[in-house]
Amino acid sequence: MEKGYVENGFIVDVSHSARMSQIIYELSAVLEMPEAKEKDVFLKLGSFEMNPTQMLSVKAMVESMGLKLGKISSTSKVTLSSANELGIETAELENVIPTIAFDNIQPEVNKELKVALDKIFGDDISTISNIHEDIDAPKEERVSQSVIEDEYSDAAAHDEINKVIEEANNARTEVDIDSVAPEIKDSITDTNYLTEEEKEKLKETEQLPTLYIQRTLRSGQSLKSEGNIVVIGDVNPGSEIIAKGDITVWGILGGIAHAGCDGNSWAKVRALKMNPIQLRIADTLARRPDTANIPYIQKTDTFIPEEAVMYRGQIYIHKLYEN
Amino acid sequence: MSGRVIVITSGKGGVGKTTTNANIGTALAKKGKKVVMIDTDLGLRNLDLLLGLENRIVYTIVDVVEERCKLKQALVKDKKNPNLCLLAAAQTRDKTAVTEEQLKEICEKLQKDFDFILVDCPAGIEQGFQNAVAGASEAIVVTTPEMSAIRDADRIIGLLEAKEEIKQYHLLLNRVRPNLIKSNDMMSVDEVVDILSAELIGIIPEDTGIITSTNKGEPIVNDEKSLAGQAYMNVASRILGEDVPFLNLEEDTSIMGKMKKFFSSLVGKEQK
Repeated sequence: MEKGYVENGFIVDVSHSARMSQIIYELSAVLEMPEAKEKDVFLKLGSFEMNPTQMLSVKAMVESMGLKLGKISSTSKVTLSSANELGIETAELENVIPTIAFDNIQPEVNKELKVALDKIFGDDISTISNIHEDIDAPKEERVSQSVIEDEYSDAAAHDEINKVIEEANNARTEVDIDSVAPEIKDSITDTNYLTEEEKEKLKETEQLPTLYIQRTLRSGQSLKSEGNIVVIGDVNPGSEIIAKGDITVWGILGGIAHAGCDGNSWAKVRALKMNPIQLRIADTLARRPDTANIPYIQKTDTFIPEEAVMYRGQIYIHKLYEN
Repeated sequence: MSGRVIVITSGKGGVGKTTTNANIGTALAKKGKKVVMIDTDLGLRNLDLLLGLENRIVYTIVDVVEERCKLKQALVKDKKNPNLCLLAAAQTRDKTAVTEEQLKEICEKLQKDFDFILVDCPAGIEQGFQNAVAGASEAIVVTTPEMSAIRDADRIIGLLEAKEEIKQYHLLLNRVRPNLIKSNDMMSVDEVVDILSAELIGIIPEDTGIITSTNKGEPIVNDEKSLAGQAYMNVASRILGEDVPFLNLEEDTSIMGKMKKFFSSLVGKEQK
């Protein structure tokens, strides 16, 4: 039996129990502990089917010991419906870092952060407009090169996805940080060719609220936000960051980063050290090249901030700052 | 076509379940069989790293179960061998995200298209183990010649025998060090087999090459010179029903040993 800790309560995992008596026994053992008093209990029930009467007795037992039954997680429909009947909240207890809701936050907060980022990356944000739509390339072409999940519902989908990943990979290896051809680099960072409409889109992420988080993200943790995300710390392999807007990592990015997850292909990923397993911007995916021996995390003294952008349907990485 | 579903399990952690899985899978694929490996270690996945496929994973087994993608979309093809596929575990979820029935269903679907389905089991005997065993009809119990690993293997064999679905199980002895056995510092192969009274399918010698192969993301069976690689190749042959003798690990490779062997062969000739 596992116990985990959540805010003002704790998780009791009895998901491996197959009998009601076993659940009651294990639960009572935990509830009797002195540190459990006056807290919320989050019960993980797994696939166990619990009818309303049984759940009522569990609830009564928890309450008789001076605690509150907070939430219940379960994969069984019977259990979930009986929880609904008794008015107990159901939730999936995942390894997700809790994030604040953004409803009441004004976009003005964001401007300060942008100014702060100016200082971090040594560049004027208003002029870091890093991508432009190539005039010659029709827009449809860009869309066709992207991975759009909904389209892949047939059997041949797997091969097609592999193909797209392969293409994305080629793009990544082609533009290895040192070997970005100057003409491409210029066109990635040049905004003069953009139409007014595209310039608006470019600024779309600036309007979003930003989640600021100061910690190291470890394997298995995932961070999701409706806005932009700024992480002060490393993002280790095995963790993932998913944001509707931009992602900025003040440290080593080693996990998976997905910017513009609702389809905003103008979103960007920035990090002091880029070593991600996968980079995703909107519907496009690029993966780390299969170089024989890439260190787990490249610990290094020299940090050169880099930025990943989408350009002509592919993901490119370029340096934000050069000595 | 109805594929064989083999679960690779051990009870104790760190005895080489995942390494065994990656190597046997690669070996079977090299022998021309269609193989899919399922990582059921949700939250602590490693099989993708050993195969060097970490950067190719888009969908995981949890996405399949929660119907965010088709089963075929979630199968990651190996870099070298098109016969080999991986169904990866989710790293950001825990063991309760998949149930026994769901795993059984996935195994049944895969049986139609593959010769072998190798299920990588997490350590322990909790939900993760129950899930992994659910769809399997055969098992390979991995153990090392240490008391703690053997006791856990014994527990696992007991649990496997209680399952009706498991028709047969074999023992794989990993990290064997012939030098230590010789000096009576390690249990011998026979002792382990005696304690567990299970049929042996392979003896894998301790090999430092395993560490480099894990870091490179390339199974050691691809290295034909390596003793551990040969041993894993032999295990694959035995799974296919071939009668392959166990490798002679006792051979003394030191200069003194070679000289002894040379002289004893001379003596042998004279006696004839």
